[in-house]
Amino acid sequence: MSVTTQDRSLAPVRLERSLIPELERFGAVDVSACFNCGSCTAVCPIGTEDGAFPRRLIRYAQLGMRDRLAASPEVWSCYACGECTQSCPRDADPAGFMAAARRWATASHDHTGLARRLATSAPFATVFITLLVGALAAFLYTAHRPVSGREIALFEYLPATFVHNLGIAILAAFGVAAIGGLVRCCRTLSRVRPAEHGTRSTRAIGEAVWFAVARESIAQERMRRECADDPGVEARPWYLRRWFIHAATMWGFLGLLVATIADFLLDLTGLKPTGVHVPLWYPVRLLGTLGGLLLVYGTSVSIVRRVRKRERSVARSSVSDWWFLWLLWFAGVSGFALELALYLPDAPGWGYPVFLFHVAVSMTLVLLAPFGKFAHAIYRPVALAVLRLRSGSGGAPA
Amino acid sequence: MSAAAFARRIDADVLVVGAGIAGLQASLDLGDQGYRVLLVEREASIGGHMIGLSKVFPTMDCASCITTPKMSAAAHHDLVTTLTYSDVTSITRVPGGFEARIVKRPRYVNEDACTGCRLCEYACPVDVPHEFDGGLGARRAIAVPFGTAIPQKAVLDLANCILCGKCEKACPAGAIDLLQEPEAIEARARAVVLATGYRPTPTDAKREYVAGRTGNVISGLDMERLLAPNGPYGRVLRPSDGKIPERIAYVQCAGSRDETLGVPYCSRVCCMYAIKQAMLLSGALPLADITIYHMDIRTFGKGYEEFYQTARSMGINFVKAKVARITPRPDGDVDLRIEHQEEDGRVEDVRHDLVVLSVGLEPGDDVGRFAPVRTDRYGFVRSADAALDVTGTEVPGMFAAGTALAPKDIVDTVAEASAVAMRVAGYLRRSTETADELVEVARG
Repeated sequence: MSVTTQDRSLAPVRLERSLIPELERFGAVDVSACFNCGSCTAVCPIGTEDGAFPRRLIRYAQLGMRDRLAASPEVWSCYACGECTQSCPRDADPAGFMAAARRWATASHDHTGLARRLATSAPFATVFITLLVGALAAFLYTAHRPVSGREIALFEYLPATFVHNLGIAILAAFGVAAIGGLVRCCRTLSRVRPAEHGTRSTRAIGEAVWFAVARESIAQERMRRECADDPGVEARPWYLRRWFIHAATMWGFLGLLVATIADFLLDLTGLKPTGVHVPLWYPVRLLGTLGGLLLVYGTSVSIVRRVRKRERSVARSSVSDWWFLWLLWFAGVSGFALELALYLPDAPGWGYPVFLFHVAVSMTLVLLAPFGKFAHAIYRPVALAVLRLRSGSGGAPA
Repeated sequence: MSAAAFARRIDADVLVVGAGIAGLQASLDLGDQGYRVLLVEREASIGGHMIGLSKVFPTMDCASCITTPKMSAAAHHDLVTTLTYSDVTSITRVPGGFEARIVKRPRYVNEDACTGCRLCEYACPVDVPHEFDGGLGARRAIAVPFGTAIPQKAVLDLANCILCGKCEKACPAGAIDLLQEPEAIEARARAVVLATGYRPTPTDAKREYVAGRTGNVISGLDMERLLAPNGPYGRVLRPSDGKIPERIAYVQCAGSRDETLGVPYCSRVCCMYAIKQAMLLSGALPLADITIYHMDIRTFGKGYEEFYQTARSMGINFVKAKVARITPRPDGDVDLRIEHQEEDGRVEDVRHDLVVLSVGLEPGDDVGRFAPVRTDRYGFVRSADAALDVTGTEVPGMFAAGTALAPKDIVDTVAEASAVAMRVAGYLRRSTETADELVEVARG
């Protein structure tokens, strides 16, 4: 055991043979193919800073050390650059294993079991998400009022307060799920190696949080600096690089979220009631439009790459990859369709259904965020902060 | 093609393709049993890879010392006819055996006249990297292939020759013949032994190792030459600047057990040759640190585990880690990136001044191109039965031995070569008896 772990305690370790098939359901290709040569760990551009992975994590899986794997924050360090998969002598796809381990961790932090089913069953995910979008749209439709006039008036059709209240309910549900997941995540992370969580100075904790949230989650320093694109496509311009596509999707999504919330706040303060037409340069609208453009661009490129499978990092896509991307894409595209409907003369009849669809998809996206790929935004900062604290200001790994 | 097109026709009992240690041993064993053997070799000398090695494991015999007697015995055997610098272009089944077409490439030197005095070599002004020394040393554009080559006949390398005519003037035997043409030879044999051997896997196959391919990253076969007493430098120096290496590393599985190279199989010899070389290096350079980076050490033969344990006790470092990347440094040293998985799991670039890639074995020739046998997905000849008829093929009368069938070491190759000779003898005996019976039946 001393070969594969840094753990010096002699606490008994539970070994579960069911762990490998379980991870394989989450998309790990062939966990037993790995013969632990360590090539993946050594080629990993960030393995030097965040401790040894993927090999050690694959070893945990092979031995069935469920608790140890769940308590490994390294799962969330990985940027899925595919370098390890490219050089793996066994074709064991370590990058795919890391992605599967993230889906597995997301599911194990989820109380409801929804994340597990959404990540492991394509039919379930398709039917469930379609039904959820449909149900939300139908629920919204129950509140619609007859509309007169030659122009589309969205908030005459659906009362703004109704949409707002439903939105707040959805956000609240998201909050409950996210906090529940976070609590479980923190408990899992601290359960196995409590000895390493001694008292830390406030300064060290502050530094770790700054690193995890600002430098890594917002600025994505290492993704830009170290995770090169796939070999052979390194000559791509910046707007086609992997980090930019990810940043476009992320900032597009955040821009839209902030714009939506800001619009609600403007309505609350009475500065601009929801539904009042404002010119394009109006800050909130401008933010929303730019965010939408970035989101549609980012998700479209991602979808095309995942379909083409030219790069190792997108060679294998899971159910979770697909439903998350498509929801984002539909949310963005239906938003622009709505803009188009507003500008077209004679209030096209499809304007209102698109509005229902747009709102329903956006709400689904927020509601399902803690259960799918988006969950990395919740768990990753925590994991990185823990890693940072363990490694002592990011020097040599513990 | 009409018979007239063939300048020569050779009849033999057995055609042996390839004169490495497998082909030599099989030819000698068949010749000693009274069968006429035609031994065909692609290179200008017989001896194969073995004659280029320094010492052989696990006995630490000098390779030249034990290979040259075999080469010489085969070359002088009354019943063994040797053709060098010759390609077998096709082998087809005909009634009563096989018909082979062979092209003997021109040496531009009359073999019958050349005495191997090397005066042409001394006169030649052109220096070319010497293939026999892995390109680390030099030879002339006209040269006897190497010191222990058989036959000791010069070969003119037309691709590098500047046609200055100096060799022609220097040759006391008047053997230089620039008008020589390829010679087509037709051979008939009742049985065939394929002993086409192996080729080392390329050193630039792995993407992560390519950047390191400066002069100080060499292959295991190159190191054999550095260690050989008749090697290019006469001692072990690193190629880029002649420094005496102090930190030598072996990268195991540099060409084997790697799906990214399309070679998932184990080449069987690399662990042992790396250990052997490390032991020889400890003798040649007592102050050098030698580290062998491996995924695991496979010492399967008789006495091999003891050999490995001896190496460990000699102070050779064995580190379990697959080298993930090779990066050259400006001063000629080389960084090897590994995970210290037996320690704390840290990733480190370890600095070495000479790195040996333990390249693996791949098929020496595309046998399916000229012979009616089936090969496996890697190009090795398929045995008739992988367990019980290893040396037989699916074609009656056609046999194989040595690394043409699969990677194996010299010990196993020689045993298999003798085994195939026995199988061939049995086959020839049986078919003769059958033929005699048929004749008797026909006479009625």
